[in-house]
Amino acid sequence: MTDPSGDVVRIERTFEAPAEAVFDAWTSPEVMRRWWHAGPEWETPEAEVDLRVGGKVRVVMRASDGTEVEAQGEYTLIERPHRLEMTWAFSDDPSNTQQLIELAFWESEGATTVVMVNSGIATDERRDAQDYGWRGCFDELERALASS
Amino acid sequence: MANDAFNALAHPLRREIVERLSSGPATVGEVTRDFGVSKPTISRHLKTLEEAGVVSRVIAGRNHRLALQPDTLAEASGWIESQRRRWESLFDAVGEYLEERADQR
Repeated sequence: MTDPSGDVVRIERTFEAPAEAVFDAWTSPEVMRRWWHAGPEWETPEAEVDLRVGGKVRVVMRASDGTEVEAQGEYTLIERPHRLEMTWAFSDDPSNTQQLIELAFWESEGATTVVMVNSGIATDERRDAQDYGWRGCFDELERALASS
Repeated sequence: MANDAFNALAHPLRREIVERLSSGPATVGEVTRDFGVSKPTISRHLKTLEEAGVVSRVIAGRNHRLALQPDTLAEASGWIESQRRRWESLFDAVGEYLEERADQR
């Protein structure tokens, strides 16, 4: 469920496409609008991408019963086609955690591997103490769960 | 809430306490042995763990026993799994989009 570095969520996937195309897909409002199409019953009526540092990215996802979940963030780093970072928060997250999404793109022989790391951030604390944050937490959590 | 559990675990000393308690309930003295920090500091960290519901304390006379609360940790773990599923579906959307674009060419 997690990797040794203890990030909250780390996903790696390889796409049969050049890095530029994969990067552009990640920043495409069209992709954002499809995001919940994998889940039936859901649609994404709104998707906005303002691709510049400090620019907003925002999606509104709606279930068939009318429940809406909004997710939004702000781009903090844009290095097309190698790196992309943004803050992120879901409106239905009861803990109202602001998250950090870090994406890295590596192209090799026409295929591009994307690594996404989704971690929690607590901006001030992160500045103040290097060991603060979620990194390292989850290994302990898993160990504790496994043995309890 | 899940976030409280994460905050509780966001310090190496507190993670060490959780790790030591993972083998079973123990006294405050047992759990914080060799930490080399002051008692008030230890109390502060224990308070954070207790308030988050990660650790419970049973007082029997002068003896304070600490134990892990697995439900809180399981909740935090479940929340992480739901986040993972969300992001996986975004990867799916990226993949479908790229395939359709490739087909159009």
